[in-house]
This record gives sequence, structure tokens and C-alpha cells, in this order.
Amino acid sequence: MSVTTFETMGTVVSVRGAATATVSAVRAVFAGYDRRYSLYDPASVLSRIAAGSLRLADSPDEVRAVYALALEWRDRTGGAFTPHRPDGVIDLSGVVKALAIQAAGAALDAAVAPGDAGDASWMLNAGGDVLVRGRHGADPWSVGIVDPDQRDVVVGVVQLDDRRAVATSGTAERGEHVWRRSAPTFRQATVIADDIVTADVLATAVVAGDEDDLRRITGDGTVDVLAFGVDGRVWATPGATGLVRAGSPSPAA
Amino acid sequence: MRARVIAGGVVTSAAVLVIGWQLGGQPAVTAQSGAATGSTSGSSSSSGTGSSSSGTGSSSSAGSGTSSSVSGTFAGAATQTQFGPVQVQIVVADGKITDVTALQLTDRDGRSEQISQQAAPILRQEALQAQSAKIQAVSGATYTSEGYTTSLQSAIDKAGL
Repeated sequence: MSVTTFETMGTVVSVRGAATATVSAVRAVFAGYDRRYSLYDPASVLSRIAAGSLRLADSPDEVRAVYALALEWRDRTGGAFTPHRPDGVIDLSGVVKALAIQAAGAALDAAVAPGDAGDASWMLNAGGDVLVRGRHGADPWSVGIVDPDQRDVVVGVVQLDDRRAVATSGTAERGEHVWRRSAPTFRQATVIADDIVTADVLATAVVAGDEDDLRRITGDGTVDVLAFGVDGRVWATPGATGLVRAGSPSPAA
Repeated sequence: MRARVIAGGVVTSAAVLVIGWQLGGQPAVTAQSGAATGSTSGSSSSSGTGSSSSGTGSSSSAGSGTSSSVSGTFAGAATQTQFGPVQVQIVVADGKITDVTALQLTDRDGRSEQISQQAAPILRQEALQAQSAKIQAVSGATYTSEGYTTSLQSAIDKAGL
């Protein structure tokens, strides 16, 4: 299957199952989001807001809509996810990457010919945040999960059969858009969801939160979570237990 | 290589339970799909040092075509991490990853050397552990794994899996 990769937003994006022209459209989507929301770029809309040279109220509608969405997620996660840095700066990177992936996915969908809609397949991976459509040949698209304690180890495989999105968040994530409210409970969290924004935001929320937050987030059963605790325990929703290859249980341990 | 601690029982929430397992353990894990790996470094060598570049570099550049038939050796792009450059090479047989090796895992300071010597053998064995399923992407978050993840993804991309 054809694979195209490019760098954007400080990470690497790979696209499978897309024609060259479509990949160009995908690349443009990411570039657009990066331009508006990057805090690394002093000219971005968000950087100007952070610097005080642009009022949020005067920013483009779309930027305010993203901020509103981030606030909505803050409320839905009981504050575990928040767009506000401890220093007060608005940082939307917690949602922007996922929104860019979502929009890029829409561009990939738009390129599917109507007659092919039934079996169109693609995979979009932006630095480990993965959105798919269809299947990889006869098999589901599959994503390996990296062990947070042993950096070079793939501990499990997520097969995207019913759900379309996987995202992983961790304590030392680049950009550090995870701000904890207390001592860390989790080192890494992978969330499998129907859409990439939900997966990404909730992965961040789990890592930022504690066990109660995890219970709340998984309470309605709409997502699956695999979370690695700082104490060595691993938490999984029933649907996620099968992701990790269970070695022989070691009662002695 | 250590056993991961088991947390007993089911925890309060109906939706969440705690699981434990033993990682690493016996190198003898994985009856790895039996695919005919042929060429590369098939056996032993687990306790080696970090850079075992062994130069099998040539990829069969299968490029397009159905992914299930991809075979060859693919080196990912080298990625910078705080511990120095990381580069990963995979061996693919019939679309499945049958071996993963770290080509580079060193830096000038001693700490990184140490890390590389510990990590590389684990990397091969453990990565193999997950290869009973085919993967097209990796997802992870720790800063140190990022370079590895990026390079591994790069190798997977080059193989066109």
C-alpha cells in the first residue's frame, strides 16, 4: 500500500491509501492548523493572543470556536483536560492536533469516489495519533502501543475494527500540554474511540487526572482505555484487556 | 527484564479493571509466525551492545503492490532524542515484521551508552512479541520512546506495511 510521510506540527504524519493530490490536501490542512495555533510560531493567532497583542474576542471565529470546544471538554472531563496553562496562557494544542487530523480525515473522505465509498480505506497517523477508515486488506488496521516503561517495546496491538481512532498521551509528552492537578497517577494512557478528538482529549485527561477521573471517563462505555500507572499497575477497560498480550500471570510477583 | 507487578482483583468501577502481566521474561517467547526470515541475524545475539548495524541494508523496495507480500529489510530514519540518535531497522517477511533492531542507540555521554546497552536486546525480543499481529502504526507518548517510535514508524512506512 502506498505510504506518504511529511513533517508538520513538530511531528511526522504518515498517510496510507491516498493519491498524491489527496496527500497534498492533507498536508495543507495540517499546515493551516499549525499556522493558526502554534505557540512556537510568534506570528500565529494564538501566539498573538498569548502575547497580548490580540484579544481573544477579536480573533477569528474559528479560533474562538476551537477555544469553546476546549472549554467544553474541560467541563466534560471535570477539569482534567484544560486549555489553560498554569501561567494563564491559552494553549489549544491539546485539541488542535486532533482537529487537524479530523479535518485531514474529511479531506481523505472527500477524495473517495462515490462508487468506492463501501470499501474505501485509508490510515492517517500523526505522531501516534491514528485515524482510519475501512480496513487494511482483509485485516483491521492495527496500531502497536509502546510501553511507557520500556521505551523500545511494543506491548499491545489495537485493532481498529469498529472504532476509528487511537491516541496516546504521556507524562513527558512534547509540548507538555498535560498539566496535572496533583501527583501523577498515570504515566501513559491510550484511548480508543469513534473519533480522534475524543480519543486525544481523553488520553490527555486520563494522564492529567487520577483514578476517579479514569472511572468517570470510562463510565459510559463509549471509549476503551489502556492506562499505565506510575505504580506499575495497568488499567484497562474490558474492551482493552485483550490488547495487551498477557504473559503468564505471575502470582508470586 | 522484570516482572510487572500484578494488581489483584477487580477495582470498584464496573468499567475499569486492573490487569497485570509479565513482560520480557523468557526470550523464548513468540513462535513468530514462522515466516521465512532467511537472511538476517536469526538467532541468539540477545545480549549485544546497542549498535548491531550488520549492514543488511538492502530493501527489496517492494514499494507498491499488496502489502501482504512485502518482504525485505527496511531501515527507519534516524531520529534525535535526548539520549542521542535512534535508528530502527525492521525485517519483513510476507507483510509481517519478523525482526526489529536498533541500528543506533548511542551518544557521547556515558548514561546514554548505558541505556543503549540495556535497551537494545530487550527491544528485539519484546518487539517480536507483538509481531504476531501486523501493525501499520505505533502509538506511544514518553519522550524517550518518541525517537524510537518515530524511527520504527518510518521503517514501517518504508516497508509499505
